Amino acid sequence: MSQRAAKLIFWVGTLSSLALFLGMTWDTHRSFAALTHADRLDANVVAGKRAFEKYNCNDCHTILGFGAYYAPDLTRAYKRLGEDAIRLRIASPEKVLAGSYRKMPQQHVKPEEIDRLVDFLRWVSDIDNHDWPPQDSATRWKAATRRLIGGAAMSPGAALVAQENCLSCHALGDAGEHRGPRFEYIATRRDAAWITRYLADPEAMTPGAVMPAFGTLSESQRRSVAEFITSLADRSTP
Amino acid sequence: MNFKTQRVAYPYFVVALLLFALQLVMGLYIAFNYFYTVPQEVVNVFPFSTARAMHTNLLVLWLLLGFMGATYYTVPEETQSELAWPRVAYAQLILLTGTGVAALVGFFFGWTQGRPLLEIPTTLDVLVVIGALMFLANVAVTIFRARRFTAVQGTLLAGLVFLAAMYLFGMPFYENLAIDWYYWWWVIHLWVEGAWELVTAALMAFMMIQLTGVERKVVEKWLYVELGLFLFTGLAGTGHHYYWIAAPRYWLWVGGIFSALEPLPIAFMLIDTWRSMRHSSRPQPRLTWVYVIGMAVLHFVGAGLFGFAHTLPQINYYTHGSQVTVSHGHLAFFGAYVLLNLSFFYFAIPRLKGFPEGRYDERGGHWGFWLLSSGVVGMSLAMAVAGVLQTYLERVQGQPYIVAQSPIRFWMMIVFLHGFLVLGGALVVIKHLLTLRPAPAPGR
Ligand code: HEC
Ligand code: HEC
Ligand code: HEM
Ligand code: HEM
Ligand SMILES: [Fe+2]
Repeated sequence: MSQRAAKLIFWVGTLSSLALFLGMTWDTHRSFAALTHADRLDANVVAGKRAFEKYNCNDCHTILGFGAYYAPDLTRAYKRLGEDAIRLRIASPEKVLAGSYRKMPQQHVKPEEIDRLVDFLRWVSDIDNHDWPPQDSATRWKAATRRLIGGAAMSPGAALVAQENCLSCHALGDAGEHRGPRFEYIATRRDAAWITRYLADPEAMTPGAVMPAFGTLSESQRRSVAEFITSLADRSTP
Repeated sequence: MNFKTQRVAYPYFVVALLLFALQLVMGLYIAFNYFYTVPQEVVNVFPFSTARAMHTNLLVLWLLLGFMGATYYTVPEETQSELAWPRVAYAQLILLTGTGVAALVGFFFGWTQGRPLLEIPTTLDVLVVIGALMFLANVAVTIFRARRFTAVQGTLLAGLVFLAAMYLFGMPFYENLAIDWYYWWWVIHLWVEGAWELVTAALMAFMMIQLTGVERKVVEKWLYVELGLFLFTGLAGTGHHYYWIAAPRYWLWVGGIFSALEPLPIAFMLIDTWRSMRHSSRPQPRLTWVYVIGMAVLHFVGAGLFGFAHTLPQINYYTHGSQVTVSHGHLAFFGAYVLLNLSFFYFAIPRLKGFPEGRYDERGGHWGFWLLSSGVVGMSLAMAVAGVLQTYLERVQGQPYIVAQSPIRFWMMIVFLHGFLVLGGALVVIKHLLTLRPAPAPGR
């Protein structure tokens, strides 16, 4: 190969790739507004992002899969945990995570900063990023729930969930709210015995939990609710 | 050493090596946090996050100081002239080291920009930029005054300007998280798979010419081809980080295809280095070749093979942001840039000290290389096992993060244990380099 040919390879290779890259950068900028729902990106969300950086959350947690891998990914934390659960974990990690083998620091985040962090995580949880991460994929959760609900007659547990209006705080399938954790997510890590006890006295299991006690329900009622929730864990891979 | 001002390189090397040792101590602490339950009181004061910021910033700082020292060694030789402003070079070292130390102390007290790898607060960023400008001006003025332009120093200067320019994209506050990460990768990816590869190619070409006596024309011709391949694959290859950040779908195609080609130029560099060694007409200490070939091989394995393993979107969907990433990050950084720096130190220090023909006493140095390298390889393999486990348990099966982590803790303990090999090896290397002696006279 001659010197000339070598230089030609250099210039053609570099400039073609650069042109493609810059062109796509331009186009990507046009798309970000829709894909990230930039219309919902208000001053509160921006303040939340600043707090997220101020406390260096990203050097333990990933978000969008970037950052440190020491703690759960926060991209869909809002959808998975709900805002009251998030608040509690930022405000008093030393209590909530007391039993865990891995700790999150008590950083004395101010209450209004916690609100902004929730605004930020709510906004992030809605962005359209080809359904990553897989473990929090809403399509996957909802598919499992639809199968379950479609396949069986209404179980007594499900009826109690409807009767007690749990979905005014929790998400299930396409229904519900995001104040507490999504039921399908609870099902991946709790067993029926644990949930039965929890429903009677949440405070005893998770100090500070913003979850009403359902001591009015009998033990067997609580058990059937718990069994309904754990039955949601049957999640086949997408 | 043929020019007096090449001597400014030496203090850069010394500072770089000391920071390297400190980086490893931080690495041990964060690996420890992975498998041992550090009590809440300690976590409140010195959490994983702070130590990780120190670990990674020390890495970047010392590698860059090493590159700068290497550049100050190379440029006078290539231009056949003294460095324009040697005193500025010393001042620059003091400025950058001071900024680095201020940043580390600041991290401890919670002064941070809070973005992984780019935690240095904006105020200090300004000092970094001033240091970088002093550096670039010094190098550029030396080259232009001498009016001797070679492909090697052209590549070096272009790589360094590219490197400095990309740093600017990491400085502003971005309101939109997706746009933030879009430009974060202009720093990180376009550094390690762009600018730093140019610097590496230039320094390797320079060393090859000096070490083997191969013809400059031949080296420079292949340099052009190699650079063309690096930039062709690496620029559009940035897309392999845009799969899941809320960017359009076409990045899955472009990122996947271009980044899948990225191992090619690295393989090319390996073959080229091997051939140069075989055709060498000048005998060199064995250890120099151990480093140079070790670098070429582990660069290919860590960046090329481990990088390829998770670069296709179909795989990356499951491995993204897991210990698989960490495994690749360690082996790639080590193989490519840690070993490049150490190779250059072994090349330059004996010459700076004026040892005849650049020969030095190798005894002890081999231990350092093998301890260090087997430590990092072992550590990366343990991380890879942890990563595959995490991918399966968390991403495929859907276990919650903290549940999926419990079997991983064992593998992070293995990482931690290998960390001692790494630290031990590094201490041997550092001691050997800083107390390098001339080769014993034959027959003694
Ligand atoms: C030193 C590391 C560290 C830092 C810094 C940190 N966290 Fe955490 N965080 C953790 C760990 C570890 C857990 C999980 C513990 C467990 O589940 O047992 C956690 C859990 C959480 C959870 C619950 C996630 C889930 O899925 O259960 C949220 C939400 C959270 N952190 C938010 C934050 C925010 C917001 C910040 C910054 C203000 C932050 N964290 C800073 C380590 C950290
Ligand atoms: C007023 C809102 C509200 C209502 C109504 C409510 N929950 Fe909750 N629930 C929460 C919140 C918030 C949490 C998270 C507590 C924490 O921070 O750990 C929670 C937590 C839970 C948990 C434990 C999750 C875990 O893994 O730690 C279970 C189980 C649960 N709820 C079940 C129910 C059921 C069943 C009902 C209806 C009978 C119900 N909840 C009604 C708000 C509510
Ligand atoms: C004593 C040896 C070392 C140990 C125990 C160690 C351990 C670690 C750990 C536990 C992390 C955190 C990963 C996470 O966020 O979860 C990390 C990050 C990192 N380390 Fe090390 N490390 C060591 C040496 C090195 C060396 C020699 C290099 C350079 C070659 C290096 C480069 C990095 C990089 C680049 C990251 C960020 C990784 C990423 O974001 O994916 N480390 N290290
Ligand atoms: C010497 C060159 C390289 C170095 C130093 C390097 C280093 C790194 C580091 C540190 C990260 C983690 C960044 C973070 O998220 O914190 C990373 C990510 C990644 N690298 Fe490399 N890399 C190199 C070359 C390559 C090559 C050649 C490929 C592809 C063939 C590649 C593919 C990837 C991919 C796909 C990711 C993203 C992982 C994820 O999704 O989490 N890298 N690299
Ligand atoms: Fe990359």
